[in-house]
Amino acid sequence: MGFDFPKGRLRQRRHFLLGAGAALASLGLSTGLSSCGWTLANVRPPVTGSDPNQLFIYTWSGYIDEELLAAFERETGIRAIVDVFDANETMLAKLQAGAGGAYSVIYPSDYMVQKMVELDLLLELDKSLILGLEQLFPRFQDPVYDRGNRFSVPAAWGTTGLIYNSQALKQPVEDWQYLWDNQQALSKKITLINDVREVMGATLRKLGFSYNSTDPQQINQAYQHLVRLKPSIAAFTSDAWAPQMLAGDLLVSMCYSSDANQVIAENPALRYVVPNSGSSAYVDTIVIPKSAPNPQGAYAWINFLLQPQIATQVVKNLKFATPNQVAFEQLAPDIKQDQTLFPTPATLEKLEGITPVADEISAIFDDYWTRLTSA
Amino acid sequence: MPKKARKTKSKEPKLSKPPKLKERGQGNFFEALILLLPSGLWLFLLLVLPTLVIFQLSLVPDIKPGMVVDPSGIENYLRAFEGTFLWVILRSIFFALGTTFSCLILGFPIAYWIGYMLPRGWRNLCLLAFILPLWTSSLLRSYAWISILRPTGLLNSVLVYFDLPPIQILNSPIAVLIGMTYSYLPFMVLILYTAIEKLDSRVLEAAADLGAKPSVIFEKITIPQTSPGILAGCLLVFIGSLGDFVDPELLGGASSMTMARLIYNQFLGTTQNWGFGSALSMLLIIAVSIAIALLLKYGDRSATEA
Repeated sequence: MGFDFPKGRLRQRRHFLLGAGAALASLGLSTGLSSCGWTLANVRPPVTGSDPNQLFIYTWSGYIDEELLAAFERETGIRAIVDVFDANETMLAKLQAGAGGAYSVIYPSDYMVQKMVELDLLLELDKSLILGLEQLFPRFQDPVYDRGNRFSVPAAWGTTGLIYNSQALKQPVEDWQYLWDNQQALSKKITLINDVREVMGATLRKLGFSYNSTDPQQINQAYQHLVRLKPSIAAFTSDAWAPQMLAGDLLVSMCYSSDANQVIAENPALRYVVPNSGSSAYVDTIVIPKSAPNPQGAYAWINFLLQPQIATQVVKNLKFATPNQVAFEQLAPDIKQDQTLFPTPATLEKLEGITPVADEISAIFDDYWTRLTSA
Repeated sequence: MPKKARKTKSKEPKLSKPPKLKERGQGNFFEALILLLPSGLWLFLLLVLPTLVIFQLSLVPDIKPGMVVDPSGIENYLRAFEGTFLWVILRSIFFALGTTFSCLILGFPIAYWIGYMLPRGWRNLCLLAFILPLWTSSLLRSYAWISILRPTGLLNSVLVYFDLPPIQILNSPIAVLIGMTYSYLPFMVLILYTAIEKLDSRVLEAAADLGAKPSVIFEKITIPQTSPGILAGCLLVFIGSLGDFVDPELLGGASSMTMARLIYNQFLGTTQNWGFGSALSMLLIIAVSIAIALLLKYGDRSATEA
């Protein structure tokens, strides 16, 4: 739901809901040769050739604006068309449900990159075609989720935290625990991210465990706490909170820092906080799927974004943190010191990256999540 | 056809006719086959086959994309009847029944007014005006309800203006019921209208002449005469609202998970389990099929065809 989201070429999320039926109708069904059954929803490359002057991008809402697309078209002559998702799993599900061959550029987060590599969906990047990777901060040169950036190029990073209305709430929000302590007063004025690992992880951190806990007992404990909070939660959403927060319908929302910045720019009374007990940090990356119809265009897009002057422009306009060190140095001091964008080292200490967990643990998370959202 | 054949035979008792008739009969069989083939193929490829695929998937526990489909049992169906998920099913049925009931209560007076009390010339115009909202996207109509029901929305602004306490309706089951009732009311009115329009006013007048009170006339004559229409309308609204996705998703928030939403989540949500989703889909298909069978057997066919 684009509160600040350019119209026109950008398709919005709710269209995806409508398109979902269509996507399901075109399941990528294919016959497995090796065994008795057939393999469900294999992602296959497109059968038909594609237009080199068109580039289909699948990204988070708020990562691209019209200005950026226009600049890209001026520079390369390629017309980019953008579609958005609000959760990594939704993106993967749509790829697997038949849209596999539609996109040439996708923006998965760290742990999803790892998962997509395991699923053999990603193209190994040809580094000779990419210019400017050495400009990245050292910690983004060799990330744990994708050693040596073999399959992905970091595009943005940020934290998960809480955004709240400082005018409506008497005391500042400092920790996840605030939601539970003020459950009655905040009834139906809270939203949580529509992401199983983020919500469970935050609750695990609140309880003093790791965001990536794989202990079924700890996970169960987190689930029990969430069940208690459930009646006060208005919705599980990653982006629809923004217009409601601005309208005053919500008081506290769990969100990503990049989204928080865009909203705070519109209403300075809103504050973003990384909870004291700790939270997660994410890196959103650019990848090229194996089924990409226009890989050349995808490389052009990556190179375009790695240029420092484009990267600084993006930070200013779209308000997310860049992993590009050269671009960071060129930023105005007030942006560099913005703690929502670039948290202090002390805050960084408290952050964990979400790591993939084994299938059986993942099944536990999924089961609790389905129960939580169904209750 | 045979009747007709005999008639023509008796009229013109010539020997040259019967073979021609026989030929025509055969031609009809092939004609029928050819005429039905496209729609039959269509139905087979896009309805029967996919349903069979769904059924097959529903027999595989915990299947996700990329896994081999190997049907092994009915765990998915058993899971659907476990605590939380049983509540989801019951909630869906409750929403569908609630919507049907409120549509009937709201729709009958409207249909009665349009179909019986309004002068004939005005009826079509009024009916059209009532059905006009159906021409807009259902998504748009749900969004409109969001802006009315949200905490700082239209409804609460009005309440606050009159010094009444604001109410929290959005993201609750009540909001879902309001939205669904609004979505399905035109269907109910349309069907009830065709039933009420056929009411024999002479019978009603005769009853009044013979001293029946209006309430008695309504109970003894109006309702029995329109009951096929009432049943058809109720079943149609029930079928539609049982599988409604947009209203619960947009107006229900974290509350009011329904079968349709749960199915969506199993396929395209953050946690995927296509097998469980397929089992839920099958249950929904079965429930709707039963409702349609009832509709065909007891409903007013002329009303649904109108």
